[in-house]
Amino acid sequence: MTAQIDITPPMTIPEYLIGEVQSKLAYVDESILKAGVDADGGRITLELRVPAAGAKRKNLEGKVRRVVTAMVQGAFKPKVEILEDHLDRPLPYSADPQAELVRRGEMFQESAGLFSLGPLLTRVIAFFESRFVALADSFGAAPYRFPTLIPARSLERVGYFRAFPHSLTFATHLREDLDAIDDFAQHAACGEQGLESPPESFAKIQALLSPAVCYHLYFALADKPLPAGQVVATAVGNCFRYESVNLASLERLWNFTMREVIFVGSRDFVLQNRETGRQRMRTLFEEIGLAYRVESANDPFFIGEFKKQAAFQSAFQLKFEIRASLPFKHATLAVGSYNYHQDFFGRSLNITLPDGSPAHTGCIAFGLERIAFAFLAQYGLDTQLWPEAVRKAIP
Amino acid sequence: MGYSQVTMRRVQELVAEALQLPIDQVTPRLSFGGIKQWDSMGHMSIMMLLEERFSIVIDADVIASLTSINAICDYLGKSGKE
Repeated sequence: MTAQIDITPPMTIPEYLIGEVQSKLAYVDESILKAGVDADGGRITLELRVPAAGAKRKNLEGKVRRVVTAMVQGAFKPKVEILEDHLDRPLPYSADPQAELVRRGEMFQESAGLFSLGPLLTRVIAFFESRFVALADSFGAAPYRFPTLIPARSLERVGYFRAFPHSLTFATHLREDLDAIDDFAQHAACGEQGLESPPESFAKIQALLSPAVCYHLYFALADKPLPAGQVVATAVGNCFRYESVNLASLERLWNFTMREVIFVGSRDFVLQNRETGRQRMRTLFEEIGLAYRVESANDPFFIGEFKKQAAFQSAFQLKFEIRASLPFKHATLAVGSYNYHQDFFGRSLNITLPDGSPAHTGCIAFGLERIAFAFLAQYGLDTQLWPEAVRKAIP
Repeated sequence: MGYSQVTMRRVQELVAEALQLPIDQVTPRLSFGGIKQWDSMGHMSIMMLLEERFSIVIDADVIASLTSINAICDYLGKSGKE
């Protein structure tokens, strides 16, 4: 039996933080099915798996208030800068394509945040991939392949555990112990909440599922001078970011695919290439008639680091998102981003330029499932309605 | 120079407190990235403490320009918040 409770936050949540606070509330307690903040930021509504009363409710309210205070008190209002606005492009479709995609067998949900995709979506993704690879080629980017797993030690070195603990996905295996392996083989079973097995059966975590593509390149370049003083690379890879009850449709996947073009070098080299990449993408998006906007953004840092890191990103204009229109919900979806990390990775990983100073890094990243979904949300599944450039490229 | 030595001293003390450093490590020429503690988190700790101690609201536009002790002193001097 589900239940709903309203909580008055300790302070009004400003409009620019409502979405951020709402998404973080999912991580407050396992009993939360859904969290909402009303438009004026004065009330939080939680939908719970089971009713909460007495001490349990008090504890829950305390945790919610802690989140709000940590994120709102002393927060800096971000500077919103819009670099491009093409949201008003005429579009032929305004329905949610998901139901039709599921009906046609183009989308199959394996579990929350995990989808298998059929031929049409695969072809649309391949189309965008070919264009992103062409962008990488225009920079002479060297192709790389990276593993899906990423060492825990490496992520620790770049402070990932502090910044994004909520979205981590861990990889483990059974301990090298005959009794533990035998016991697991005989008794392992999946309950409603997942695999039921004693935690002591599992080895210590040495690796996680990778949350981003470009990190692998930075780790490969660590602790040595940068070859020729600069690198341009590209890779595509599976990425994993756990988003709890926020996982929904192709808009928010646990396991998704990202294509990145990565720049490592001097400040000017990285910033210039990031801007050149944006200009080149503008031409592509115009050709395929994508309705989108490019605006300043911040990464979804967890509560403890959110206030400072998000404000820093905003103030220094480190991140710009490509937000495509989703006409069926009068909203936008981030389908890619232009990122500059200053010399954060250069310093953290000791990647040096020829003059001995830390290298600067940046990347252009595209979420392949998201951009395909946004395209179908704008143009529908009838290929006759698609822009010529896409129609011609997809058999 | 649009600020006093008193302001310089106050800002050095504030930066030392925000970055949890001994005051003698916060020289008048110190700037963002000059020491490992003055990174992105350190910078925002300085900005938050500046707002609190000087009762000011720092715009996002300004945060990116206050990247040295000198720049902070200059900003306070020009804002009449010395």
